[in-house]
Amino acid sequence: MSYSFEQHKIVGAIEADDDYWRGLEDGVLRLPRCASCRGWTWPAHFRCGQCGSWDFDWVAVEPKGRIFTYTRTHYAFDRVLERREDVPYVTVVAELPDAGNVRLIGVLKGDEAGLAIGAPVRGAIDPPSAKSKFYPALRWELER
Amino acid sequence: MMTERNVSSMRGATAIVGIGQIPYYKRGTSPEPELKLALRAITQAADDAGIDVRDIDGFISYASERSDPAKLMPALGTRECRFASLVWIHGGALAGTLNVAAGAILSGQADIVAIYRSMTEGNSQRLRVAVAQNDTSSQYLVNGLDSPAQILALRAQRLMEHHGVPRSALFATVQASYYHARNNSRALGRATEMTREIYDEARMISEPYRLFDCSRENDGAACVLVVSAERARDLRQTPAYVLSAPMGTMGGGGALEENWRPYYATAGQKELADRLWRESGYGSKDVDVAQIYMNMDAMGIGSMIDHGFFAMEEAGAFCTLDNLIAPSGRLPINTSGGDLAEGFIHGMGLIPEAVRQIRGTSVNQVPGARLSLVTGGPGDLMSSTALLGSADTL
Repeated sequence: MSYSFEQHKIVGAIEADDDYWRGLEDGVLRLPRCASCRGWTWPAHFRCGQCGSWDFDWVAVEPKGRIFTYTRTHYAFDRVLERREDVPYVTVVAELPDAGNVRLIGVLKGDEAGLAIGAPVRGAIDPPSAKSKFYPALRWELER
Repeated sequence: MMTERNVSSMRGATAIVGIGQIPYYKRGTSPEPELKLALRAITQAADDAGIDVRDIDGFISYASERSDPAKLMPALGTRECRFASLVWIHGGALAGTLNVAAGAILSGQADIVAIYRSMTEGNSQRLRVAVAQNDTSSQYLVNGLDSPAQILALRAQRLMEHHGVPRSALFATVQASYYHARNNSRALGRATEMTREIYDEARMISEPYRLFDCSRENDGAACVLVVSAERARDLRQTPAYVLSAPMGTMGGGGALEENWRPYYATAGQKELADRLWRESGYGSKDVDVAQIYMNMDAMGIGSMIDHGFFAMEEAGAFCTLDNLIAPSGRLPINTSGGDLAEGFIHGMGLIPEAVRQIRGTSVNQVPGARLSLVTGGPGDLMSSTALLGSADTL
């Protein structure tokens, strides 16, 4: 089976995170861990800068964490026009204590009450859609 | 004189001797293409210096500049192009271009180096290509983040909510920029009498940023000419010596999609500032005037924190209108109006203004300014900063 995001590749960055998107499309949050020194390597890359290994294990991680920072977007920017009708929307950067405090970006889902730095959040996974450029998307929800 | 120095061999070895800055246009309205604007800025800088434009033999720009020297040469009548370089990343590279120029000059590869930036929205789709450079990763774009305004808003939210930098500090930088713009005929914001009401009522862009927290987006071009210190002494303008212009980023920085580890909410310039002071032999308390790159105002506050002008918890007390304006504020910033109120061509307008302060020709002159700081794009994946000095600072 081919993945949706593979047909809609966004180019120009490091682009070592295909397994992240494959995981989300399969409904699982997977993050890369160096096969040698076991360090969490995020954003995904091709070589572990800590020990020099080229091998990573993509490990399933429970999608829970706390808000590191966020912004509420009030303008439909050029390259994310797909979200025009959702403006204003909140994008959250959450830290995952169970995965070396790596920080993952996701659009907030559900009620905004209690939105604050440090607030606990839980991840849900949206299947690929036009809004997320035909990529699957991790969504952060405030824990109630 | 400094008693202890760990200076670089580049300290004071080169100087800026010519500046060119053509009038800015509202974004998308330049009647001329960006290549022509680049030619105008470069020829203006040569005229200012009293240098034959054909003798420029080195060309440096940064980010995704499109007016490369190969296209400029035929119209400049360039006798020989001996050095050409584009400095990595985005606006972070601004001040670091001076280091590249110094390297070329000191190693004998070029004698007269033009550093320039030219942009028109019509030609290069600045917002999409020339600023963002189409290198925004899927992690951002999938999650509704496109613009530097949004990405830097993430940092500002942390700076304000977690570290407690108050809104009044942001407003003071805006107010100071517009205050200075009133005297600058080039400034696109010169007619705006900035008040807290206007600031607060402006539309929200990406929280915590409202409209006036953001740099303007303009069509325009600017250029400075760099030569050796020896050559500078024989030219017509008062030289602005390059004391230090480090570029780079700390370990744990770089293209990390909001995963910067050592520190996050400021500008990523602490290590650069440390090098700046070490290489120049001066410190933050010695600086007379500063052109602080403000892609967004909170990031500029981050730059000032990283440079040691004040601590995070002092931002509210330090950032007041009185402290930030010429002639006698504690640290007059953005004396041309800067990126917020003069106009924004990827920060390039800041270097000419830093030079004017050394020459004594700014429209908002700090009397007797000897040490003039200009910072590169804060929060960029790599950044830079530069200290210019008058002859008596060498």
